[in-house]
Amino acid sequence: MEDNGGEDPVNNNNNTTVSSEGSIIKVTVKTPKDKEEIAISEDASVTQFKEEISRRFKAKQDQLVLIFAGKILKDGDSLNQHGIKDGLTVHLVIKTAHKAGDGASSSTSCTSQVGSSSGSSSGPSSAAHSSSVGSTGGPVSAPPQTPNILTGFGDLSSLSSMGMGSANFMELQQQMQSQLMSNPEMLSQIMENPLVQNMMSNPDLMRQMIVANPQMQQLMERNPEISHMLNNPELMRQTMELARNPAMMQEMMRNQDRALSNLESIPGGYNALRRMYTDIQEPMFSAARDQFGNNPFSALGGNSDGGVQPSRTENREPLPNPWGPPSSTDPSEGGGGTGTTGSSTAGSTNPSVSNPLAVNSASLGNGMFSSPGMQSLMQQISENPQLMQNMLSAPYMRSMMQSLAQNPDMASQNPASSPSTGTNPAQQLMMQQMLQMFAGGNASSQTPEVQFQQQLEQLGAMGFINREANLQALIATGGDVNAAIERLLGSQPS
Amino acid sequence: MDPNNTSYAVKLYVYDISKGMARQLSPLMLGKQLDGIWHTAIVVHGEEFFYGGEGITNCPPGGTSLGQPNSIIDLGTTEVTEEIFMEYLSSLGESTYRGNQYHLFEWNCNTFSNEVAQFLTGSKIPGHITDLPAEVLSTPFGQALRPLLDSINIAPQGGNTFNGHYGQR
Repeated sequence: MEDNGGEDPVNNNNNTTVSSEGSIIKVTVKTPKDKEEIAISEDASVTQFKEEISRRFKAKQDQLVLIFAGKILKDGDSLNQHGIKDGLTVHLVIKTAHKAGDGASSSTSCTSQVGSSSGSSSGPSSAAHSSSVGSTGGPVSAPPQTPNILTGFGDLSSLSSMGMGSANFMELQQQMQSQLMSNPEMLSQIMENPLVQNMMSNPDLMRQMIVANPQMQQLMERNPEISHMLNNPELMRQTMELARNPAMMQEMMRNQDRALSNLESIPGGYNALRRMYTDIQEPMFSAARDQFGNNPFSALGGNSDGGVQPSRTENREPLPNPWGPPSSTDPSEGGGGTGTTGSSTAGSTNPSVSNPLAVNSASLGNGMFSSPGMQSLMQQISENPQLMQNMLSAPYMRSMMQSLAQNPDMASQNPASSPSTGTNPAQQLMMQQMLQMFAGGNASSQTPEVQFQQQLEQLGAMGFINREANLQALIATGGDVNAAIERLLGSQPS
Repeated sequence: MDPNNTSYAVKLYVYDISKGMARQLSPLMLGKQLDGIWHTAIVVHGEEFFYGGEGITNCPPGGTSLGQPNSIIDLGTTEVTEEIFMEYLSSLGESTYRGNQYHLFEWNCNTFSNEVAQFLTGSKIPGHITDLPAEVLSTPFGQALRPLLDSINIAPQGGNTFNGHYGQR
């Protein structure tokens, strides 16, 4: 009141008197959302501090929780006791009326949603999904329409089991779907539900549901065969029979796979298969992939090792190989035959939607790349195709891949022995090249001329007098003298 | 210590998301030695909390796809109860630590861990973790990779999020 000049007169309106008026200290009070500086006497008690805070933050005193150095400040304490001095920060949490319920409930809501809805309404929806999953034996294979159905129907089911606060239905549906997919037991349980079976025996209803889904509609536009199939009641009924009886379904799948592999052996059959695949399965898969992380087939337990799968992977094979082991797979040979899956070395993984490269992390390379680091990187990449795409779309990545592809030797002398990089000029060069590319191609530590000094001399001694051309060739081959020579010879007129 | 207040242990779980690759490759690629690319999470009240591309997430300790931590640092103890802590996290998750604010270098899991550590115990997390982005960016390689790194969100799977509005994107 008297002494404390222009500072906030903390004690002015208080009834309680401070025992001794110490100096005013400025304490920062920080909430998750903002922070304020509060000036208060250093001998003040926590109660007084809270009063000031409640004024500033417009909250009730009993809603305030003050934390300093891990301790909760109680009303009976004094600031001094906790060592709160000028310039320090005290944390504040303002208790809201409805407590911390929001956070907890939303995280549990998804699980309870699955629980409750699996009882009643998810019955039909999963029925729908499994009916579509059972592909028919017809010439046009009915690919999994799994996610589409569920989404179509799922809206209804989540409506009926509302009350999950601000839950987003799509989210919940997806959660449910993934739960179902990952838990085949639950699936079979649901299938045995008589309600489900009733539903399934009504082809019209099924058809309606299927068609109602926008993704399905798109697909139907693109592939009229699908709509034909849907319109054929006989086929629908057969499909549903299949779906109802999981054993029969598996049998169907196996037959289909066998048929496919037979097809493959017919001359020209492979191409037909391939066409079939790209026309039908690919859009299905991409639609499925959007909704699922996993391969819809994997939940079925069928032997899906059919001939169609490799056609998808072999296009992508070259990608992991530049980093691969020196002896086995080679980038140029990557394409290979029909039977080889992505990792032809030790063990193979079935390519799944989430793992299109069929990258078996364990088998990828010896040396440096068997380190857990690389493995987990590969795993992450294969599980998240988006990441791979991002990585690859960066321009320098492409040029690096190109140069690596041009120099399989370079790639094979992979920097596994990094401590000994200094002894291997070729490796050093590669590293420098990489760095060059990363830095935009201009900021290399040495000019190419200096880099390739040694090689240039060699070439000169051999009789290639055109220094410019030599340099070009060396740059193109990354310092490999032999390859440079070949380039030079190839480009010379005689 | 008051007998009335129970104190809870606060630990910092440190993961190397490069799984050893950084230690091997960093001298080569960056020109300086980095022992790891650190992702951190705070473990308190029997749960692990971290910040990623999806916002503040929690899971059982060691329950993310990263597995067990490389090292566990003891940050001390706190009196903050679980209830208050959840309130605090919800507020944070709605204001300054939403998922879309994630930035690999500037506003990442370690920023979050640091802030929560200070809230809970008053102490900060070790400097070598928070200084990592600066270290990387000070190399030409880091600068060159920046556009790529800007677009990466680290979001280890296996948790529930505190977004406030479930499903909000």
